Amino acid sequence: MVLFLSLLTLLNFNTPKLKVENVWLRPADKGMNSAMYFEIVNNSDNPDTLYKAASSTAELVQIHETFKKNGLMGMREVKFIVIKPHSTLTFKPGGYHVMFIKLKKDFKLKSEEEAVLYFKHEGMIKVKAVVKKQS
Amino acid sequence: MLSLIKSRSVLFYLPVILFSVFLINGCGDKLPENKSIGDQSYSLINQDSSKVIFPDAFKGKILVMSFIYTNCPDICPLTTHNMQMLQEDVKKDNIKNVQFVELSFDPTRDTPSILKEYGNIRNIDYSNFEFLTGKKSVIDTLIHHMNVIAIQGDTTFTKSGQPIYFFTHTDRITLLDQNGKIRNEYRGSTANTAEILKDIKILGD
Repeated sequence: MVLFLSLLTLLNFNTPKLKVENVWLRPADKGMNSAMYFEIVNNSDNPDTLYKAASSTAELVQIHETFKKNGLMGMREVKFIVIKPHSTLTFKPGGYHVMFIKLKKDFKLKSEEEAVLYFKHEGMIKVKAVVKKQS
Repeated sequence: MLSLIKSRSVLFYLPVILFSVFLINGCGDKLPENKSIGDQSYSLINQDSSKVIFPDAFKGKILVMSFIYTNCPDICPLTTHNMQMLQEDVKKDNIKNVQFVELSFDPTRDTPSILKEYGNIRNIDYSNFEFLTGKKSVIDTLIHHMNVIAIQGDTTFTKSGQPIYFFTHTDRITLLDQNGKIRNEYRGSTANTAEILKDIKILGD
C-alpha cells in the first residue's frame, strides 16, 4: 500500500503541470517577421507567468498582443502573461502571439522551428513549431 | 363605367403593387454607391515591378481591395488569407471579371520583390491577384481617399542595427464596382467571406 501511494506521488510529481500544445508558426521569408501561436494548459492549483520567449531563428523574439483602438488595429509588446490555475490560454491570430522579428532563415511551409518559453514557476519549456498556413 | 371602376382600383392598389415589387426585388440587394475613385489616377507598381495606373488598369472589373504591410505578422496575414479564400470561392462559383488587389501602406519596406516573396510563400494565385506598392506620397493620398488610416509607430533597433516599426491601421477589405465606386467595406482580418461573395454577385448581375 505504501509502495502504491509512493508510486502515485512520484507519477503525480513527474507529470508536468504546465503544457504547451498545438504550436505553429506563420510562413515568412528571411529578414521578415513571423508569429507563433499555441495553447498553454495549466493543470496546477497555482497560476504561472509567461515572461519571455526566445529562438535562435530570429534577431528578436517578443510576446505581443493585437489590440483595437478607435477602429484601428495594432500590436504591442506585453512583458508577461498570467495563466490562471486549471485553465488554458490560447495564443491565436488576432490575439496574443510570440513575434519572431527579422528572421535569420526562411520559414517554409511544413518546416519545423524551435523556440523556448520561460515561465516563472515551470521554468523553461522547449517547443517545436510547425510552419503552416492559416487553417 | 366599368373601366372607370377598374382604373380607380388600379390607382387604389398601385402603392401596394409598387411596394410588393420593391420587396420582391429585394431592398437589401442593392449596394449603396459611395465615394468614387474612378475619376482619379494613381501611378503604382505591382509585385513584378510593372507599372499600374490605378484604378484605370482594373476598369470594367469588380475590385476586391485590401490594405496591408508585409512586416505585420498577425493581422495582415489574416486579411491576405481571407482574400485567398474569397478568390477560391469566386473561382468555384465561376464568377468572371473579379480582380483582387492588396495595397501596401508601407512602401519604404514593401518593394515589389518583398511583395512577391510575401505572395509566393503563401502560394498566391496571381491569375487575378496583384500586390501594389509605389511612392509613399501617392499611397498616402490613395489610402486617405479610400478611408484607410495607417499610423507608423516608433522605430526601435535590433542588436545588429536593423530598424523595427509597426503600424496601427485600418483593418479593411473594400469592394469597388466596375466603375471604381466604393460599394461596401468590411473588416479585413475577420471578414465574412460569404457576405463579400454575395455582394460580388450583386455587382456582377
